[in-house]
Amino acid sequence: MTETQSTPIDRGPTMAVLVLRAWLGVRAILTGVEKFADTRTLQVPLLDAAGKPDSSGAVVEVTQKFYSLHSYHAIPDSMKDKFALEPLLPTFLTTPYYAVLGWALIALGIAVLVGLWTRASLFLMGLLYVSLTVGLILIKQDAGVAWLAIHVALVAMALSLSKHNRLTLTRS
Amino acid sequence: MSPRDPRPDADGLGRRRFLKTATAASLSLALAPLRSAYGQAAAGSPPEDAINVALVGLGAQGRVLMDAMLKIPGVRFVAVCDIWPYARTYGQRYLKKNGFEVRAYENHQDMLEKEKDVQAVIVASPDFWHAPITNDCLRSGHHVYCEKMMSNTIDGAKSMVRTMKETGKLLQIGHQRRSNPRYLVARNHLLKEAHLLGRITAANGQWNRAVSADLGWPNHTAMSTELLARYGYADMHQFRNWRWFKKYGGGPLSDLGAHQIDIFNWFFDTTPSTVIGSGGRDYYEGHEWLDNAMVIYEYKLPEGMARAFYQVQTTTSAGGGYFEQFMGTEGTLRMSENPKYSVINREAAAPPWDNWVSRHYLAPLKAPAKSDDDASSADDKVDARETAELAGYYLPVVLTKAIHQPHLENFFNAVRGKGTLNCPADEAFKSEMAVFKAIEAVESRTLVTCQPSDFTV
Repeated sequence: MTETQSTPIDRGPTMAVLVLRAWLGVRAILTGVEKFADTRTLQVPLLDAAGKPDSSGAVVEVTQKFYSLHSYHAIPDSMKDKFALEPLLPTFLTTPYYAVLGWALIALGIAVLVGLWTRASLFLMGLLYVSLTVGLILIKQDAGVAWLAIHVALVAMALSLSKHNRLTLTRS
Repeated sequence: MSPRDPRPDADGLGRRRFLKTATAASLSLALAPLRSAYGQAAAGSPPEDAINVALVGLGAQGRVLMDAMLKIPGVRFVAVCDIWPYARTYGQRYLKKNGFEVRAYENHQDMLEKEKDVQAVIVASPDFWHAPITNDCLRSGHHVYCEKMMSNTIDGAKSMVRTMKETGKLLQIGHQRRSNPRYLVARNHLLKEAHLLGRITAANGQWNRAVSADLGWPNHTAMSTELLARYGYADMHQFRNWRWFKKYGGGPLSDLGAHQIDIFNWFFDTTPSTVIGSGGRDYYEGHEWLDNAMVIYEYKLPEGMARAFYQVQTTTSAGGGYFEQFMGTEGTLRMSENPKYSVINREAAAPPWDNWVSRHYLAPLKAPAKSDDDASSADDKVDARETAELAGYYLPVVLTKAIHQPHLENFFNAVRGKGTLNCPADEAFKSEMAVFKAIEAVESRTLVTCQPSDFTV
């Protein structure tokens, strides 16, 4: 009679890749969603401590954040202006890039989060961050470059652990 | 429809008739969008709330008040009065364009005699006429809104307070900041309720105004010497530039300073104990009043002494704008009718103001963005004794009306019996007396002491 002895399964790498997917997915989705954010100023009555309109009849301006397709802006205008001065970033490249950037971040973030072609999605996400790095290098925003390098390192780490990947919608 | 009542007859207005009327009104409004703000505003105002108003004085300030009143529902202009036919005709035509057929008068006594259905009179004449006109109106049974200064003399101002008390009629003085919701919130909530500034030890205010030429007039509109003399004027130049002559007005400390010195008194909730000053006729030729002045008041507050510095300059550029600033141990509040000059700073060691921010009484100023290559930081200090950089806030309260409108609305509401005056004559007198004391200090070049009895009538 042979006695089978089970080897303890090391679930650490699996949990590591799941945490990385969660972070990278949420990070990309919210970054993309924020590109559809804007603020508007509303005028509302000033309320006293009891929640009633103040006796002065004062009206206050309150800034309110909202999201809409119309509000889409790929990058801040100040940065866009700087990129426009860079000869290595011609308009015929930047225009379509700006148009898809927000959508790409959301799509890749969802794909990584739910495990949809995880490795391919992580790879594309890494390339996207590399492409963003190019612009920042050209306008000499070194802090931004280092910031994106952390993202790229996390993507690479997730890819290196991909054989431990679980909880996915597709197998690859 | 009476020519003096531009409102549509609302009696028995059926839906079909309403639609016809509304269509016609829409076409009319499309052709003349600026005609009769009253017509729109008063439509929702019950007839018993309408107030018949006469406007005395159709100069620059009278026109500002007229424009503000045209935006107030229920104000029905019935008469205007000005000694200058040119201004009188302007006012009459302007009001006609806005839907009011008004009778015009040269003399206010003639107007009071003939206009029996006037309920309120707005007085925006030169200062030296304020007391005679206001007293006559009050004694004729009218409520009065009179521009500041109340008078160019202390006796004149006192007589107005006495007449107000004797007649029991309302007399509002045009210190319009007292009805401005921005000032009301700052004073009543940020200072009095929240004590955000801690103990206030100093205040300062200024109104710097760029140099300007004397006012002229179209030649064909000049009044005769006889007509001018009948109303106390030496000539047409003095009539147009009365603010610079002692016989008619109080000079810049009175014209501009009165508004801001009133804020010192109102926010401190007391009157000054002393004042010292300096000023003079440094620039303009042919003026009687000083054109620059700097004064320092002392206020004995319950928590200790506070000093208030005030300067009015009419010979400089307008640099720095106009504001009233209160400085305490925990913060500084700078108020101005122009929101761009207003700011509130919190000392680094002061308790947090988060509660007031969350309730929208304050909003943090956005810090200017710093670029990566901006090396400035805490090292921005140029002196080791410099206090740490203050957190900046602004008042998110907005005034969505003409600047004088809330004060006029307060007056008309009081006339209707809905509320009390924000600046009755006896209260205004305290501030105006502080102005008279400042003028005395500047002219005598001495420290002038103020007794509490100086500020009462």
